[in-house]
Formats: sequence, C-alpha cells, structure tokens
Amino acid sequence: MTKTMTRTFLSGLAVATALSTAAFAAPVEAATLRMAWSQDATGLDPHTQTAFSSLRLLELIYEPLVRLDAELNVVPAIASSWEFSEDAQTLTFTLDPAATFSNGEQVTAADVKASFERILNEATAAAARSNFLSIESIDTPDEATVVFNLSTPDVPILVAMAGINAAIAPASEIEAGSVGTTALGSGPFVLDTWEPNSREVLTANPDWAGGELGIDGINISVLPDETAILASLRAGQTDFALINDPLVATMVPNEAGLELNRAPGLAYNVLQLNPNREPMDNVLVRQAMSCAIDRQSIIDTALAGEGAVTGPLTMPAFAQDPSSLFCYEQDLDRARELMAESGVDGFTATVIAATGEPPYAALEAQVLQAQLAEIGITLNIEMMELNVYVDTWLQGDFDMAVAQNGGRPDPYPMYNRYFTNDGNLLNVSNYVDDTLDSLMREGQAETDPERRVEIFQEFENHLVEQSPWLWLSTSFSYTAQRENVSGFVPSPTGTLFGLTEVTVE
Amino acid sequence: MNYLAQRLLTFPLILLGVSVLVFVSIRMIPGSQITAMLGTEAGMLTAAQREALAAYFGIDQPVWTQYFRWLAGLFQGDLGVSTIYARPVLNVILERFPLTLQLALMSMTIALCIGLPLGVFAATRNERPSDLIVRILAMLGQSTPNFVIGILLIYFLSVFFGIVPAMGTFTPLTVDPLASFGQLFWPAVTLGFAFAASVTRISRSAMLDVLSDDYIRTARSKGASSMSVIWRHALPNALIPVVTLSGVEFGYLLGGAVIVEQIFALPGLGRLVLDAITQRDYALVQGTVLFIAFNFLIVNLLVDLAYAALDPRIRIGGRK
Amino acid sequence: MSRIFASFVRHPSGRIGLVIVSLYIVAAIMGTFGLTPHNPLAMVPIDRLKAPNEAYWFGTDILGRDTFSRLMVGIRQSMIIAFASVACATIAGTIIGLFSAWLGGIWDGVLMRFMDVLLAFPAILLALLIIAIVGPGTITSIAAIGIVYTPIFARVVRGPALSLKQRDFVDAARTFGSTQPYILTRHLLLNLVAPLAVQVTLALAWALLTEAGLSFLGLGTQPPTPSLGLMLAESRNLMPQAPWLMIFPALTIMLGILGFNLAGDALRDILDPRTQRREA
Repeated sequence: MTKTMTRTFLSGLAVATALSTAAFAAPVEAATLRMAWSQDATGLDPHTQTAFSSLRLLELIYEPLVRLDAELNVVPAIASSWEFSEDAQTLTFTLDPAATFSNGEQVTAADVKASFERILNEATAAAARSNFLSIESIDTPDEATVVFNLSTPDVPILVAMAGINAAIAPASEIEAGSVGTTALGSGPFVLDTWEPNSREVLTANPDWAGGELGIDGINISVLPDETAILASLRAGQTDFALINDPLVATMVPNEAGLELNRAPGLAYNVLQLNPNREPMDNVLVRQAMSCAIDRQSIIDTALAGEGAVTGPLTMPAFAQDPSSLFCYEQDLDRARELMAESGVDGFTATVIAATGEPPYAALEAQVLQAQLAEIGITLNIEMMELNVYVDTWLQGDFDMAVAQNGGRPDPYPMYNRYFTNDGNLLNVSNYVDDTLDSLMREGQAETDPERRVEIFQEFENHLVEQSPWLWLSTSFSYTAQRENVSGFVPSPTGTLFGLTEVTVE
Repeated sequence: MNYLAQRLLTFPLILLGVSVLVFVSIRMIPGSQITAMLGTEAGMLTAAQREALAAYFGIDQPVWTQYFRWLAGLFQGDLGVSTIYARPVLNVILERFPLTLQLALMSMTIALCIGLPLGVFAATRNERPSDLIVRILAMLGQSTPNFVIGILLIYFLSVFFGIVPAMGTFTPLTVDPLASFGQLFWPAVTLGFAFAASVTRISRSAMLDVLSDDYIRTARSKGASSMSVIWRHALPNALIPVVTLSGVEFGYLLGGAVIVEQIFALPGLGRLVLDAITQRDYALVQGTVLFIAFNFLIVNLLVDLAYAALDPRIRIGGRK
Repeated sequence: MSRIFASFVRHPSGRIGLVIVSLYIVAAIMGTFGLTPHNPLAMVPIDRLKAPNEAYWFGTDILGRDTFSRLMVGIRQSMIIAFASVACATIAGTIIGLFSAWLGGIWDGVLMRFMDVLLAFPAILLALLIIAIVGPGTITSIAAIGIVYTPIFARVVRGPALSLKQRDFVDAARTFGSTQPYILTRHLLLNLVAPLAVQVTLALAWALLTEAGLSFLGLGTQPPTPSLGLMLAESRNLMPQAPWLMIFPALTIMLGILGFNLAGDALRDILDPRTQRREA
C-alpha cells in the first residue's frame, strides 16, 4: 500500500517537473523523431526474424550480449566483458549489472542461457541457429557470468553473437512462449504500437543501461514509395528516413534542408553463375565472363555511380585492393581468348533477377546483358517477384542470378554457407573445392587476427580465380534527415542503433 | 421480388467460386510464408525447423484439407487468423475498410460534382466550341493513367507548396473529420480525375439523348424555360446511365485502389491485399478477396435496383 | 462496310482517332523492322541522361539509350499486347456468350456464374495472381488481360444473342432446316458485329492502360524490351533530373488511349441506331 502511494506521489512529482521543464526550457526539450521507411518489419521475434527492416526495428528494442560499432569492432552491450580460452573452445561473458529489461527486471545469466537454448531448439525455427551449432553446453556459475563450452574452436561465433538474432529475451517470456508478441527487451526503446505495414510507435526506455537518449521516442511510418518519402521529408512531415534506392538517395543532397548519410555496406552485388549447368561448369567460360564485364561501368550506369568495385570480402578489415584480383579490369581480348580455349562458341543462358530488390536489379541485368553480348553470350533476363525469386534461388534452379547478398562482419559466417562441403546453401552456389573448404576451416579455428586475414585473402584469391560467381560491387546504405536532426552515426551493418545519439531541435 | 431472391441466391455460389479460385491460385505461386518471412535465410533451416514453421503457418496439411477447414470456419463467421497481423482476418479488414469506403465516396463525390454539371453544360452547347473543349478534356482525363497523376501531384505539392497529404497512417473520420478529409483529398482527386471524365462523357450523351426525346420538345413548346426543362425534366431521366456508371465504378473502388494507395502510402484494402500476397499471408488474401467480391456483388445489385427505381419502364431482369 | 468506313472518316472524333491509331500502327511497324533513329537497346554510357537534342529527339535514359526509339518499340509492345489480349477476350467471350445463350438452362447458368466469379474477382488482383503464378512476360500479360476482359465480352454477346434467339428470322431459319452452327455463325454473329465492335475499341483503350499499369508495377513486359509502363516506372525517381523521361512516355500512353477512345466513340455513334435517329 505504502509502495503504491509512494509511486503515485513520485509520478505526480515527475509530471509536475516535466511540465515545468517544458514551460521554461522548451527549446532543449527532447522530441519525438518522425521516421519513414518503405518496407515494414515482418515480425517481432528477434531470434527468427531475418528481414532487413525487422532487424533494424528489433535492434532498437532488444540487445545482444555484444554489438558492433561503426568500425565493426566488437563492443559491450549486455555483457561488459568477454574472454576466449586459449584453444578457442570456451567463451566466457560477464554481464553488465545495470542491464535491465523494460519491465524493470535485471538481465541475468539465466536469461542468456534460456535465449540461446531457444535459438538452438529446432522448434523455434531460428535460421541463425546455424551460427551457433558449435555450442555444446552453457554454464551459469553465477547471476552475472555465462560460459559457452564449444565443441570445436570457433572464433567467428563472437561476431555472430553480436547480431540481433542472438538477442537476449527474458527467460520468463521464453517460458510463456510470448517472445514473438510482447517485444520485451533491454534495448534503448520500448515498442508501444505496431500496425504492420502502417506504423510503429517507440518510446525511450528510461531504464536503458546504455545511458540517456536524446529523443523521447520514434514514430515510424511505412511509405512504400520512396519518391513519396522524399516528398514527405521535403514537406517537413518526416524527420528521418531510410532510403533504399540510390537514385532517390542522390537527389537528397540537392534538396534544401535535407542531409544524406551514406555508409558503405557489407552486402554485395553479384552475378551468380551456376557451375552445375553447362557451359558454366567450364572454368574457362566462367573466367572469360569475369574478364568480359566492366565492373566500374556497371556502377556508373546502373547504380548511378553509387558503389565501389569489390571482391568477395567486403569488410574493410579483410578487403583487398580489387585491382589485384583476377581479371578485375575489363579485358575483352583475354575474354575472347579464354572463350576460344574453352571450346564453347557462344551460348544462350537465362539470368534471373528480383523485381525491385535491389532497386537497380533490372538495370544491372541489362548492362550485364550488353557487356556479355560482346563475347557471344546471349542473356535472357527473367525478372521475378521477390518471393518467387527467393524460392527459385534456394532451389538453385537458374543458369545465372543477379543477386544482392547480405554481408557479415566476418568472412566465415558470410561464405561458410556457400563454399564448404557442409554449407547449407551449397545447392545455391553449386561450387566447392578442397582449397576453399580447408581454408574456411582453418579460418574458423584461428585466433590470431592477422593470420585470419591472410587465410581469408587466400580464400578470396582462389574464389575469384575459380569464378563460380562474379562479384561486382558493394553499395551504400542510406539514411536521409532534415537539418533539425543531428548526431546520427551510420554503420556498415545498416543498423539504426545510431539513433540513440540523435537529437531533434 | 422474385428477381431479387434469385439474384441473392446466386451470391453464395459466386462467392464459393471466388474462394476456390483465390485459395488455389495463391497456393500455386512459388514461395511460401516461410520464404516470405526469412528470404534467402530460409535456406539455413534444417528439415525439423522447416516442419515446425510449416505447422505454425498451417501449411503442412494437404491443400483440400486446408480449404475445407477454412470453409468450415467461414460458416461460423471466422475468416481465419492473419499471420502477419497476428489477429483475426476480419478485424484487420474492418480496420482498413473505412479508409477505402471514404476514399471511394470522396472520389465519387468529386467525380459527380465536376462531371455532371460539365456533361449537362456540354450537352446544351452541343457541337459548339465550349462543348468540344469539355469533350477533349474529358477524353484526356480518361486517357491519363492515375499513377502518373498521383506521382506528379505529390511531386508538385511538395516542391512548390511544401506540403504533402498525411501519409502512412489514416486518421478516421470519427477522430478528426477535417484531418481525415484533408488526408484523402488529393488521393480522391487522383482517383476522381478519370472518374469525373467518364461521368462527363456519359452524362453528356445521356442528356443529348433525352433532350431529343418528344416529351422534352413538348415541354419546351409549352413554354417551360430552358433551365427548368434541363434540370426538372431532362436531368432525372439522363441520370439513369450516370447512376449505372457511378455504381459500377464505385464497386471497383471499394476493392481498393492498389497503385494510388501505394503512392500515397494509405493503409487501405488495396495495399492490404497486395502486401498479403507479397508476404504470402494466405488467410488474409482469401479473406480480403472474398470481402471485396462480396461488396462488388452487393453494389452491383443495388445499382440494378436503383436502375429499376429510376426507370419504371424497365422490367427488372429482362434487361440482359 | 465501306459505308461505315466513310461515315467513320466523316465523323470528327473518328477522323482524329483514326489518325492517331494509324500513326501508332506505323510507329509500331517501323519499330518492328528496326526503322528507329537509334538502336533502342544500344547503351552509350557517355550520352547518359541527355536532354532532348538533335541527335536524341526525346533525350536519353540512365543507361544512355534513345528515348524516342524506345518509345517506338514500346508502342509496338503495347499494341501487340492490347490487340492480342482483346482478340483473346473477344473470341473467348463470344464463344462463351453464344454457347450460354444458345444452350440455355443449366449450361447458361454454369457458364454465366463462372463469368460472374471472374467479374467479382478484383481485376488487378486477378491479373496479379495470374502473373505471379506463370511469371511475367508478354504472353502472360496477354493472357492476364484477356482473361480479365473475357466475362465482359461474354455478357455483351449473351444479351443480344438471347433476344435474337427469340426473333422470327432465327426461328424461320430453324424451321427451314438450317443446321445449328450455320444459324449461329450466319445470323447471330452478323447481328452482334455492332455491339462487339464498340466494345472492342473501348477494350483496346483499357488494355493499353492496364498494360502500362502492370509494366509500371514491374509485372508486364520484361527488360530489356522497352515498354511504356516500364519506362514510366524507371523514370519516376529521375523526375527532377530528367523530366523528359516521364513526360514523353506519359504523353505517348495518353495519346494512344485517346486515339482508341475517340475511335470507339465514333464507332458507337455510327453503329448505334439511336444516335442515327438523332442525327437524322
């Protein structure tokens, strides 16, 4: 009884204070950020959602043990410190005692254990489970310590734990089976309302362990048309927006009162060849194609100049100078020689691409078509609705595919799935050899950072020379904001966690 | 009355046909809710994980089992549960419907307010320059794709006037009538443009027909003023084709305006069903399409009844 | 027939409509045989996003392709889809309508209820579902638009066919021992030409608009084949920089639809006995 009264009294006091602050200090009053994006989140379960928007939303609500900063370094989140054992088979986390869920309960080792057990449980259907298969058991010696015992040395698991798919949810919610509906996390914001494909309302979490926020909350609107998003920014109806289409992004700096944030992304644009089908099974044909395309020209035309030529490794810590890679400068003579050597005299193939995903997919396919025509290859373009494309892609049912594949901060989770003997997506890539497989294994177990870079660069060189896919470019992730918004730091992962630093005037 | 009963009896039959068609076709599209939710990450699932998801989405059963289960629910007024919205399909639809209804009504009002006077005016000026101008405008209006109008409207409003209609969410009429009207005004103009053009043309030609009829000539010879002839005697008869056209067009609009809702970011029925198809929310697609078809049938029935009410000479049912 | 054509040319909107439609057909034929100022598929990277000039009358697009040439081929594409889909709808609709009227009874009920199902199904969604199942492309667009329009033709045909069926001359023909197919083709079809012709021109205008709409959503014609709707869709994010990329395709669509609408109006005026009475 006393407790209730105190709380009422205190909240009354808080309201009074808030009112007086509002009256006297209106200019510095925190405000609500009006945000827009074209694609809405598809669900609220942090462990199973994989759509870009879902991850971006959930990163504001939930927290993983660790997270990646804008330079892709692993930094504390729920865990304040962590340590690998010598043999990289034990990983120990110490939790931040200040970390609390938005219902006021502290985040404990039991919550961490329950969360990872939920991910590993096949009934949960978490795609991210594949990143954590090396976890043999989880010990919780005390409330603030979690020990992961691994079956094999697994260094990249730490980066995987920095993803929101490894978010920590309350053990009580997991038990109640309500993780996908309640969105109860320990992150900087609390989700008040979600109307799918229409809007989200987030309010600042006053108990967030990460400190105080510059805004009261975020109102997210779903505006499916990016031209409309730009118009909305222009008219002052939106403060901050996610932009997908480079064409729309390039218009932002020309608008008075609008600013564009660009961050080079980890995702890569690629022309996937299917080495399971003739004549792409012939390495000389694949190499000829690699020499025939002009990667920079594709960026200049289809991507409106927005992007950079890249090899398989897109993360700055691992990336090599693209010009050092096999045939990365267009060389039509060499391409024709290789074609002649292969004994294949021109051929016709179908390339699939998804409508609007990425926005320039159709343009990219058309430029590739024109470039490959130079060495006698006729491409038929087949555009597909995204979902149909995904289905076809997963079955590996294509000659070639124009794709934009997601990147990871570490090469292992990024390519293990495609180019190793037990990769889940081996039937998509249809390519593996002993060199790739053993290098990948070596990279997983190696703890020395410099040695890891060497291993994966060797992997990259071999992969580019074998050319099962033709890596083209990385593109940027964009956000646009009005002048009254400041403090946003974009990240290569595309995360909107930088909104925690944002203020609105 | 016999006719009405007969028509009403065919409704369940037609709706059943629509439901089978939508049920089968939505499942024939490659991809499922699993790929819609997970994208290419769906490839990382193990067989057991895949089964767990299929069971969750209710797509692990044979198609006919799924259909009869859904049909059984339908008879109890249950359209199933949307997996995206995690709520009963009917609730989601009824939440989106007011916007679509209001948009359709506003578009029709705009179309009638502009089209009817213009059409009557043009008819009275038959073959004179002003008539020609109206006709050309109407023709052009009918020939302009509404997505072109929508895109240009948003662009010019934001660049030259610094405004855009409120986007993303809908303010219902009951909450704030002014904001509600303001929000839907420009989308209604976009939709009403071609609609008004059709109304202009049909009311002009109907008016011409009526004006050449004997009884109008009689009224005129009896000395009725030309204004009163037009508004009191001719217009009511000329209204019949206008009512038919507006009714049919209204029926289509109630199905949601997919492209215009997309451009103006309006959460109406058109986008609801488009998103549901993209996200393979089967129950939602089925429910919404059925709902739209039902509205369409009802509106068409009302149009036919209005037709009969306006023109007693027509024996209902014998028209077709 | 020549009498109809003569009055068609005499009719003011008929004349304008005819000019536009002929112009489009000429452009489409020239586009088919490569008689375009530039290769519509050739990309000239240094000439990207050029405003209209002597070399490129309607400017160039983001890949450096000539807009004018692409419009010519786009018109061809739109015409092929419009004519083919309306032809399919007319044939299918006429057959269904005739059978329905002729057979009557249960067959009439079943066929027309099936048409009602298609009609009650939201048109754009029906097209969308068909395209999603089969995959987009020229043939799919033709089929999708054709299927959507079939019930309308079936209704247009069934009505007059029913009333003609009761009339004396059909009965007379029957008593004189004419075979069923003979009666169907000779009498009924001849009398159906007028309502069908009007419906066909209006359907063509509608098909043009729908093709543009489907291509705009990326569900119609597939790249690199130019299509008016696709050109519009590609232009929308470039509007401030390159307004010509939106203006010319939009005008081309509008003019084309205008042409068919005008022709349809003229045809209706000429073939409709009521208007003939008025003019007389």
